[in-house]
Amino acid sequence: MPNFFDLNVHAYPETDIPVDDMFRIAKRYGYAGIAITNHDDTEKGKEVIPPLISNFIFRGVEIRTKSVSELKRKIKLHYGEVSLLAVHGGAEEINEAALKDSRVDLLAHPCGEKGEGELSHVLVRYAAENGVAIDFNLNAIIQSRRSDRARILWKMRQNLKLVRKYKAPAILTSNAQSKYDLRAPREMIALASLFGMKKEEAEHALSAIPEGVLEKKWKKETEVEII
Amino acid sequence: MKKKSAKCKSQNYTKFYVLLFALLLLPPSLRERKRYLVFEVISEREINKRELLEEIKNSIYSLYGDVGASESRIWLIGYEKKKDMGVGILRCAHDKVEEVRAALACIHTVNEARIGIRVIRISGTIKGATRLTATFCIISHTPFQHIHEKR
Repeated sequence: MPNFFDLNVHAYPETDIPVDDMFRIAKRYGYAGIAITNHDDTEKGKEVIPPLISNFIFRGVEIRTKSVSELKRKIKLHYGEVSLLAVHGGAEEINEAALKDSRVDLLAHPCGEKGEGELSHVLVRYAAENGVAIDFNLNAIIQSRRSDRARILWKMRQNLKLVRKYKAPAILTSNAQSKYDLRAPREMIALASLFGMKKEEAEHALSAIPEGVLEKKWKKETEVEII
Repeated sequence: MKKKSAKCKSQNYTKFYVLLFALLLLPPSLRERKRYLVFEVISEREINKRELLEEIKNSIYSLYGDVGASESRIWLIGYEKKKDMGVGILRCAHDKVEEVRAALACIHTVNEARIGIRVIRISGTIKGATRLTATFCIISHTPFQHIHEKR
């Protein structure tokens, strides 16, 4: 069985579930690693990035802003400090700025948490070029019902088509806010089949691609100036 | 003479009932194939069987509609609970396992208590499913070590 990863999990201090609890449940569900990506603009502020507890947990941060200039400033601030730099997507200009920047590892829920944003073919092409992973947020499918869910599934289907066409890295995440929101890998694969993802594809999106994202496999090496 | 005839009659009756029973049962080749899903539940508070079944049905109806629900033929066979944990067995059609799994994963609240369901194993027979449940409970130290004895 491959190693499964969930790269978008929120824990203490953003929510009241401690990292230990998440760790225990995720391990029980059969994950090889989770990345704690708390939003950087929460009130409890400074200690967003969790301390390193074990090799099972990767430290990350999810940048949430409304303006592009602030996004760039924050990317500069956090780059190199964390092993996973995610951007809270949704608005089109934020999506564009994040996908154009090769320092970003992951664009979380590019269609917003309720499916209000959109991705175009140009943006997905940027993602493929810069090695920014596009995230399919399965929590949106779990939490919504009826017309909301239909809209979200339709958008995910569209995104999947673009991702297949341009071969951009796509991953499945749970965006869990509590231990009840986590789902086991097999369940995630079953949920991904709702919007047309094949089983092998989904397995890949849960194991090999997240691993590659953590290892910065698709990043071009930065040129070193020789003086 | 009378006694003998009575004995004969009773024998005939038993023969008749055996035949009737055999006719009522579907032949094995026509029986519908099933799968048994062993699942575990973690929740905020204790959840009883009725609430859980209601929520599973709701989830399947909202995800696949009436036609899909009729094809998946779900049946909650057993459910044991203790505090915030539970283990249960759900029966479904043999070719609808992934669909039912997705429907189970879509459940997030039961009467305003948050809940998460995970399918542990799938079995083809009810005997295998109960054995799996028992071994899982022993290995993972969940408080249902005697679920197989209750059935």
